Amino acid sequence: MLSTASLSNIRIVSYCLAHIQFLRNCFFPLTTHKFRRALEPNVNPKPDGPRKTALKPAGNLLVGFSGGLGSSVLVDLVHRCYVSLDKSTMPTEGGRDHPRHERVWKKITVCYIEVCDVFPGMTDKTEAVANLVSRYDELELVALRIRDAFDPSWWERVRGKPAFSEIGVSLADQALFMESLSHFRQDPLAALHTYFSSLPTPTAVHTSIQTLTRVLLLYTALHTGSSHLILGTSLTSLAVSLISGVAQGSGFNVREEMLEEWSPDPGVTEVPELWPEDGKRAQKLKRTVRIVRPLRDIGMKECAAWAWWSHIPVVGKEKWLWPGAKPGIGTLTKDFILGLEQDYPSTVSTIVRTCAKLQPKGEVDGKCILCGRPSQRGVQEWKARISIRSQPPPPPSAQRPLPIVEESPDHASLTPYLCYPCHTTLTSRSARPVSSPWPNTTQPSVVSLPMWTEARLSTTNKALAESNDEEVVRQRKLEQGEMKGIVDQFLLED
Amino acid sequence: MPPRTCALCNDARAILKRPKTGQQICKECFFYVFETEVHNTITEANLFKSGDRVAIGASGGKDSTVLAHVMKTLNERYSYGLELFLLSIDEGITGYRDDSLETVKRNQQQYDMPLKILSYDELYGWTMDAIVAQIGKKNNCTFCGVFRRQALDRGAAILNVDHIVTGHNADDIAETVLMNIMRGDIARLGRCTSICTQGEDTIRRSKPFKYAYEKEIVMYAYFKKLDYFSTECIYSPDAYRGHARAFLKDLEAARPSAIIDIIHSGEAFEVREDVKATQKSQQTCKRCGYMSSNELCKACTLLEGLERGMATAAVTDRARQKLDADGPSPGNLRTIPFFQLPASLQNPTTVETPP
Ligand SMILES: [Zn+2]
Ligand SMILES: [Zn+2]
Ligand SMILES: [Zn+2]
Ligand SMILES: [Zn+2]
Repeated sequence: MLSTASLSNIRIVSYCLAHIQFLRNCFFPLTTHKFRRALEPNVNPKPDGPRKTALKPAGNLLVGFSGGLGSSVLVDLVHRCYVSLDKSTMPTEGGRDHPRHERVWKKITVCYIEVCDVFPGMTDKTEAVANLVSRYDELELVALRIRDAFDPSWWERVRGKPAFSEIGVSLADQALFMESLSHFRQDPLAALHTYFSSLPTPTAVHTSIQTLTRVLLLYTALHTGSSHLILGTSLTSLAVSLISGVAQGSGFNVREEMLEEWSPDPGVTEVPELWPEDGKRAQKLKRTVRIVRPLRDIGMKECAAWAWWSHIPVVGKEKWLWPGAKPGIGTLTKDFILGLEQDYPSTVSTIVRTCAKLQPKGEVDGKCILCGRPSQRGVQEWKARISIRSQPPPPPSAQRPLPIVEESPDHASLTPYLCYPCHTTLTSRSARPVSSPWPNTTQPSVVSLPMWTEARLSTTNKALAESNDEEVVRQRKLEQGEMKGIVDQFLLED
Repeated sequence: MPPRTCALCNDARAILKRPKTGQQICKECFFYVFETEVHNTITEANLFKSGDRVAIGASGGKDSTVLAHVMKTLNERYSYGLELFLLSIDEGITGYRDDSLETVKRNQQQYDMPLKILSYDELYGWTMDAIVAQIGKKNNCTFCGVFRRQALDRGAAILNVDHIVTGHNADDIAETVLMNIMRGDIARLGRCTSICTQGEDTIRRSKPFKYAYEKEIVMYAYFKKLDYFSTECIYSPDAYRGHARAFLKDLEAARPSAIIDIIHSGEAFEVREDVKATQKSQQTCKRCGYMSSNELCKACTLLEGLERGMATAAVTDRARQKLDADGPSPGNLRTIPFFQLPASLQNPTTVETPP
């Protein structure tokens, strides 16, 4: 009989090793398959289902890199699948001449945006990121800083058109009045500090970093001739960002949170509106950047396993914290969802599956001037109706003439150009005292706006001066007086 | 420090900070904005027309007590022309409903509204106490939800009303939006933010408080000196809902607009057309005539389970199969009386007024 204790232990150990080996052997092809399945149907200009034909993107590839686990795995996957053409990552079907075995992307750029300027005492990781990316041949790194959003030289570099006048906004007032900045432009770092210390909540700080980062990436994609921007959002982080977005009023953009097609506003950039002639295609295509999250079916644990088995030195992301900061909606959501996932293990995949079944409801009213996403028509009327914030009219006996609303651009409001979540980010206050990341920054009455917002406001104001069409209606739609009018029509007569 | 003046009238002394907006305002302005926001909700959705008979689902709890007060106030102030009723459900839980039913009876006097109390016992032949005695304390909330909803509709049919209004507030709706996303309940997610639900032939049911913060409802009751009873279900509450509620409270503390922002999100999306097409269509229960997505409605299934001593039948699909496998239902089963819509809602296609 061979049933001694030691022998059975050896058996168990060798079984486990074999099992781990087996898991590992399955893990890489399975994860690669999930990656390709999420990305490749979205590569060709006309998205389609599982395909056997060639992948022909309209432009190059930009990889958004945060330093975190997900984006580290993403860079590794991209390199294996599209640069080193690692055999183990190739789909087995189709044989050696399968079209996928060709180069898909002409050029792949990795873009890192350093956010340490927002938080006191945070380390700059640009160098560590450069080291990591240099491990991969043929991947080019573009390193930006979040302050570039306020830097005219960055804007010029990505071929953005200069603004006609420098326009700022008063964040201290819920009305978000715009004013031209009379003083000389602040240097980008000071402008960044002013902007972030004027935000009303920790939630707004986090969300604004995400918005600025996203738009910086989009203009970088445009400038590098990329038709695709891919992000390392895992299944877990996608679920968290979906719920956090819902909690910040961005239900209209649930679709963009999963897959987004972006193009710059007309007139704000010198980059041509169409892709250059390709020879194979009948007509020129409109230039857009498609944001894809190829790790959307891969959980955080699987990402960790990939990084571990592939020996990827993850740079890591520091917590976005500052002295006295209370957790914002993003942090609360993350803690809640991760906790819930322990008791109800399918939570994150259910959230993502549910949100994939949704579509925006209602009409689109242009694109938000801050985040560039489609905004829903009528959101300000909605807000005014359900949270009355202005004074009831005086009783009829004491009727005074209504104050005349100034038409000068100095008293125009940013509000009508904003989507619901961005407006909420800039105006919604906390019930408790809020500590600023830069408490010693003098709070000027007016803060600078990101370069793309300024440039777009310039084109809008110019259009306003030159024409009398729709754009004017849009511009005027929600002057303070009119917002009050909406409220007034429901008021009781005493 | 001088007393702050009200941010709305700039005249009276501010005595409260509005939970919804953070503005510091006076008592009169608070009543004004609270009531006007409910009025805006009602008019924007065209909830009622003059002459409608409307039942207020009254539990004696804070939401429905304040709702009854506000409905009466607005009906008079804006001449809605509604005939209002109070409709109460007595689940038959000893010591729990008695006080709140007293509140409802007092409201009947104060507001001069007719009151109908409908008991589970009279409708289903089972009180909650009897249900608990048979099946223990687990899964009771399934009974609460299913039985109460149907009881309200049946009470409304008895009162011959066109419309039921319930005290669901913004917190309830925000919480439901989150829960439906996290649980993947796409059918409910699609309809949970609509102010008014009405199937093909059901009684209209709406939530005039859908944008009213729970905290403000309490504040309103407090300043108006309305008394109410807390009506937490004493049987096993839904643990998942508890998690969602705690999370919502955290979000509200971080940014008070979160509640309204979640509702806004819920209104800004809808279920994709191709997904909708695969959803089950409504039919009527073959036993009691109530609307149902299966042959037997949930209440009838639960009731049959109780009667046959297999109470978990409708709670799980497997138990339901067991019930079916056990053979056809015996003829002497107690059942729910057949559901009849109020006369005004029968043949809804013919009620169109000629031009
Ligand atoms: Zn926006
Ligand atoms: Zn006041
Ligand atoms: Zn219950
Ligand atoms: Zn039935």
